Amino acid sequence: MALNILVVDDSSVMRSIIIKTLKLSGIPLGDIWEAQNGEEGLRLLQEKWIDLALVDIHMPVMDGEEMIRHLRESDQYSNLPVIVISSESDPGKIEMIHRQGATFIHKPFKPETLKEVIVAITGVSHEDKD
Amino acid sequence: MKTRIKKALEEATVSTFEDICFMYPVPELKDIQKNMKLEAAAEVKYRGNFNGKLIIETRGDLLSAITANILSDDFPSSQQKNDALGEIANIICGNIVPYLGRGGKGYKIQSPKSLNKNELSEEKKQGTPVAKITLNFDQGRADIKFFVDGDLAVKEKKR
Repeated sequence: MALNILVVDDSSVMRSIIIKTLKLSGIPLGDIWEAQNGEEGLRLLQEKWIDLALVDIHMPVMDGEEMIRHLRESDQYSNLPVIVISSESDPGKIEMIHRQGATFIHKPFKPETLKEVIVAITGVSHEDKD
Repeated sequence: MKTRIKKALEEATVSTFEDICFMYPVPELKDIQKNMKLEAAAEVKYRGNFNGKLIIETRGDLLSAITANILSDDFPSSQQKNDALGEIANIICGNIVPYLGRGGKGYKIQSPKSLNKNELSEEKKQGTPVAKITLNFDQGRADIKFFVDGDLAVKEKKR
């Protein structure tokens, strides 16, 4: 199964880095959608079929924590796999992210790390073609 | 603490360049790299138990090469280059503040800011870096300096 992935980050450069790393990871990719903040991310989730969201924490308009809270409260996306990618180091914040049912990846990160986490939370593997 | 910070700065900077920028440092600083002109600079300030900032400067064509690499675009705009440098500074700073104690608890890292030549010189006047490193690349070099406001040793004793 190829994964349709939503990348939410206010920095277009960071979104490019994440997408490049996804491609290097060898994960089977379907469509990749980009959003600049949580609000835009939630809107895209309503419009597209998305299997996984990669989300930053600190963003204007709606930050990552609030976006995940909305997802967990919704019937449709309460179980959507979410990975938070951030350089945040506050253990309290990271614990909060885990409590929201998301996985945390600290920047900088390698393609192998991203792959390991995605395989663990989605069950997809590089053998999956369609 | 200074030694730990210097080691952390070196590790975080190398991993950021390798994993985020897909750029690999070369060991030796050649004469041509020593005299390269300033290309760009950015700073990130942090607030918490300690306050301070991280400043990154690139020389030669390093930032252009980094941004081209990240975006897979040979002609990135100035804005894209500034964003890339700010993002790098932000990631490195986020990896250093836990070494100031309490595992990084309660630290806020502000949005990165690009610095022009005058701003850079003003910022550098305000204190001596607790740690600094230089990484050399075929396309230029990067100097990274980590500052803690006030006297780190005095503050450590007070804690």
